[in-house]
Amino acid sequence: MRKQLLSLLAAVTLGLAGCAGGTGSATPGESTLRWAVALPAHWDPVVSGSGAQFRILSLAYASLTDIDENGKAVPSLAEKWEYNATGDQVTFHLRPNLKFSDGEALNAAAVKAYLERAKTQKNSALFGDLTSIKEVTAAGDTDIVLKLSQVDYQIPLLLGERVAQITSPKAASDPAKLDQSPVGAGPFVVTENVPGSHVYLKKNPDYWDAANIHIDRVELSAAPDNATLVSSLQTGVYDLAYLDPSQVKAAQAAGLDVVFQPGFNAANISLNVNKKPFDNPKVVDAFRYATNRKEFVDKVTFGYGKATDQAFPPGYVAYDPQSANAYPYDVAKAKQLLAEAGYAAGQIKLDLVIPAPSSAAEIVQSQLAAIGVTVTIKVDPNWATPFFAKDLTLSLYGTTGRESPVQTLTAHFGPNGPLNLSTPYEPAGFEDAVSLARRTPLDSPDYARNLQAATRAGLASEALIFTYSQPNIFVKSKKVSALPAVPGQIHWTGVTVGG
Amino acid sequence: MLRRVLGLGAGRVALGVLLTVVLLAIFGPLVAPQDPLATSTDLLAAPSAHHWLGTDYLGRDVLSRLLAGSRLSVLGAVEVVAMALVVGAVPGVLSVYLGRAFEWVTLRLVDTLIALPFLVFAVAVTALLGNGIPQAMFVVGLLVSPLFYRVARAATLAVARSPYVEAAVIAGASVAWIVRKHVWGKVLPPIAVALAQTTGVGFVVVASLTFLGIGVRPPAPTWGGVLAADLGFLSYQPYAPLAPIVLIMATVWACNLLADALRDASGVAGRALVLRRPRFSGGSRVKEA
Repeated sequence: MRKQLLSLLAAVTLGLAGCAGGTGSATPGESTLRWAVALPAHWDPVVSGSGAQFRILSLAYASLTDIDENGKAVPSLAEKWEYNATGDQVTFHLRPNLKFSDGEALNAAAVKAYLERAKTQKNSALFGDLTSIKEVTAAGDTDIVLKLSQVDYQIPLLLGERVAQITSPKAASDPAKLDQSPVGAGPFVVTENVPGSHVYLKKNPDYWDAANIHIDRVELSAAPDNATLVSSLQTGVYDLAYLDPSQVKAAQAAGLDVVFQPGFNAANISLNVNKKPFDNPKVVDAFRYATNRKEFVDKVTFGYGKATDQAFPPGYVAYDPQSANAYPYDVAKAKQLLAEAGYAAGQIKLDLVIPAPSSAAEIVQSQLAAIGVTVTIKVDPNWATPFFAKDLTLSLYGTTGRESPVQTLTAHFGPNGPLNLSTPYEPAGFEDAVSLARRTPLDSPDYARNLQAATRAGLASEALIFTYSQPNIFVKSKKVSALPAVPGQIHWTGVTVGG
Repeated sequence: MLRRVLGLGAGRVALGVLLTVVLLAIFGPLVAPQDPLATSTDLLAAPSAHHWLGTDYLGRDVLSRLLAGSRLSVLGAVEVVAMALVVGAVPGVLSVYLGRAFEWVTLRLVDTLIALPFLVFAVAVTALLGNGIPQAMFVVGLLVSPLFYRVARAATLAVARSPYVEAAVIAGASVAWIVRKHVWGKVLPPIAVALAQTTGVGFVVVASLTFLGIGVRPPAPTWGGVLAADLGFLSYQPYAPLAPIVLIMATVWACNLLADALRDASGVAGRALVLRRPRFSGGSRVKEA
């Protein structure tokens, strides 16, 4: 019996050792980054969209352009670009001899195929971002000409990591397969993807900037609970993770590096003005005055964020100082407005539908209770469906921001903006203001002024109440060198992982 | 029976604890020092004279939230027990008297229910019927009912074969009379033990579900919800989980202690029957006495 048990134990041990081999194991001497993160459900950037998951996908995909530490568009796959004199056509010039990880050439035809797929694929989450692009032409092997439907100087910012992570056309011929087995030209190549468990990647020697990638291997693992994340890093299970603000103190006490990366994000309370009671502007104003942003900063971001009443954090180029604090926290005024709108205390009862439990929702509930509005929090894991179908009356949303401020504005305030819960509602004057901002070259002295004017026009929207902005917070072990301080993005150029 | 339980030290302690919990459920929200839903700027504060158990991540008084959360826990546990009692004990007794078809059907149903993991099933039901403790506890009560069925059936079988019951049958007594006169008195002690034990299970299930955020809507306070929230802020309040944990443990412990006291107080017959009770988690079969 004992002999049998020993044999079984030996077999299990050998089996486990076998499992650890192959694509799943790190080779001794390799520089390996172990990153605990929410694993992407989709690996096809066209399906994944321009939300926060683009940061993970950028391991496997390179984009047409990139941004630098000041948020300016810089070369990536495209080494340069230029507009025509009228601003309604832009030509991107690719680096020569680029190729995807499947060996296919990354040329103008591949970029054209990607952009056309992003505009036309049935389940594309990007088509709304590409409305300015009327026609894509591959001029030779490395030149891509984009004819625009309007003058738009935001295109180089737009075609960065969020919107233009170029996929191999050969792999994209089977979009369902691509969605789980990415084939791009990024700094790493996926070698193993077990959804919900882990993803392994190895360095891509064909990446255009491979000489500056010093990590041989990346292991993505499903992030553990907040309460155990810090100890996981402390004990060396992981090297890097996103960090909830509530865990910053614990991470710092554990001697880990906490990185506060600037971003463009802003959280909001989304109202549907097509539904009662928000069809009454006085009710909307009452909600605006009832919002105490400091409470969000203190309790959601633990003081690491900033209050904002715009779609951007204060200090950003598109943040409009003239519009700041237009609706200061004033409970008495909010109550008065509700009374003027004909609502007695307790008469308004609303469902606040959110995708996951959040302290922000409880704060909204408590602040609205103070003015006599009863809010019931409903957690709906399928929240995205009614939210993007614009069926909800009241919800919360937190955008990670966009490199193109015009893209951020249209997403929030445009008649079909995905973050505009009140589609097709659009604040008066917004279309003209945003068009002017779009038509203004980024290096024009008028750029900031026109952009802020567009923000001002957008903030007339009765569909959104912005609350706070929070930096992207990472925790990393000391063996991971400093991450480039690129706003809202994670770049691996020059990053090293020590032994 | 109550006098005999009170005569035991364990019985007095258990009843004392449970009575306190019941009083908290009734009067907790009234005696709570502060509004359990009122937020403040005093986040994650340490225990003080103003906040005896400190405050949570939104500045709410933890003691007030635990007191207010007692009601849901008690009601949930009571619902489990009541459901299990009605669905389990009554058919358990009747299965001995209502013929082979009824016996066969109920035994197969019980076998089926035992096979279902009740916590997982409760989560599935709340997903289907809406997020609420009443529907979750309804299902848990249904899935716990096999315990009552088997205890009641075993006790009834033992009594049914006794000479005085057989004499009553020969004398032409009706089933209802026999059950009322001879069976209930013998069946109740083991059922009381099962009841006390099931109440403890009910408290654990309510705490588990609310810990997972199932069955309640924020900001409703619950014991499990307070515990779950505390675990996210251990770096600020490493001691915070102790309060809800002690409360849950003490209540469940008191239920089990009461079950032991009831068993001891009910004498040999009760002990003989109850020692064969099935285990909840394993779902193992029980031999009938």
